[in-house]
Amino acid sequence: MSGGTDEKELKALQAALAAEHAAVYGYGVVGGRIREGRRAEARSAYDAHRARRDALTRRVRDLGGTPVAAAPAYALPFPVPDSGAALRFAGELEERVAAVYSDLVRATGGEQRRSAAEALREAAVRAVRWSGESVAFPGLAERAATASPSSAPTA
Amino acid sequence: MSYPPPLRVPSGPRRRALLVSAAGAALLAGCTGGGPESEESAAGSQSVTRKARALAARESAGMVGRYDAVIATHPQVAERLGPLRAEVVRHTEAFGGTSAKGSTGTASPSASGAVSPTPATEKDALAELAAAERALSDRRMAALLDVPGELARLLASVAAAGAAHAYLLTEDAG
Repeated sequence: MSGGTDEKELKALQAALAAEHAAVYGYGVVGGRIREGRRAEARSAYDAHRARRDALTRRVRDLGGTPVAAAPAYALPFPVPDSGAALRFAGELEERVAAVYSDLVRATGGEQRRSAAEALREAAVRAVRWSGESVAFPGLAERAATASPSSAPTA
Repeated sequence: MSYPPPLRVPSGPRRRALLVSAAGAALLAGCTGGGPESEESAAGSQSVTRKARALAARESAGMVGRYDAVIATHPQVAERLGPLRAEVVRHTEAFGGTSAKGSTGTASPSASGAVSPTPATEKDALAELAAAERALSDRRMAALLDVPGELARLLASVAAAGAAHAYLLTEDAG
């Protein structure tokens, strides 16, 4: 069974695709700055996002949509001049990808949902590989907004 | 080209253009587009949801119990496991369950199968905890296929958190 209409699914797919375009671009930046010891890991993340991007593109076409295109360039959330910043940036890329996949899980059913959940899980694991810290609810922005008792010393 | 605000982490002006343009706009649209309506209105669906939530809460509570058992046997890992355990407590609560915060031994281990005695070495105990997190994550990946969208989204997130925990428990040892 499908969790929603094709239109809802298509919208969520396009959002995920746009995020994957951004992630592919972002990892290009990460790859150029990250220290050598982590470069292979960045490369494999880059490849994973490209594969997801291509799969999403196909799925959008299958549903009769026109896949959103990548932007020619993206503004970075903060300067990424060195390996430390590249690590933080990579973690942020994964968190943003996780967010769109959680929405895609909601908007789809069956195999598409399973695939979205797997993508979310992979993004969450990569996020902790980069940041070294987990979050309670990867991809759920509304729950991230509430105080985290596990890490906030002021909570 | 407009520069929409970031999805979350609203903060300084520097972050305003977080991976912007089409991507940002589409992300925003995606997040507000879906809704929990309709699908959870059917009575049958509600029953499925209730049962799935109850099971998920029990399983998270069982996982809290596993963390407590490891911490009780290996107090030196308490600091490291504390944040992860706290997240599992939040999972339990998100599914509508309760965890006795701060106390140990109150969680029911039955949901996640028989809990064997905690391994004598720290390394083995952490490895076993990681395996339990991974197994629970896998069960949730399957369970989310059979529930309405909103609960599926929560299950997917918690499954992802569990996999991240498993990674931290094994890769960060020592």
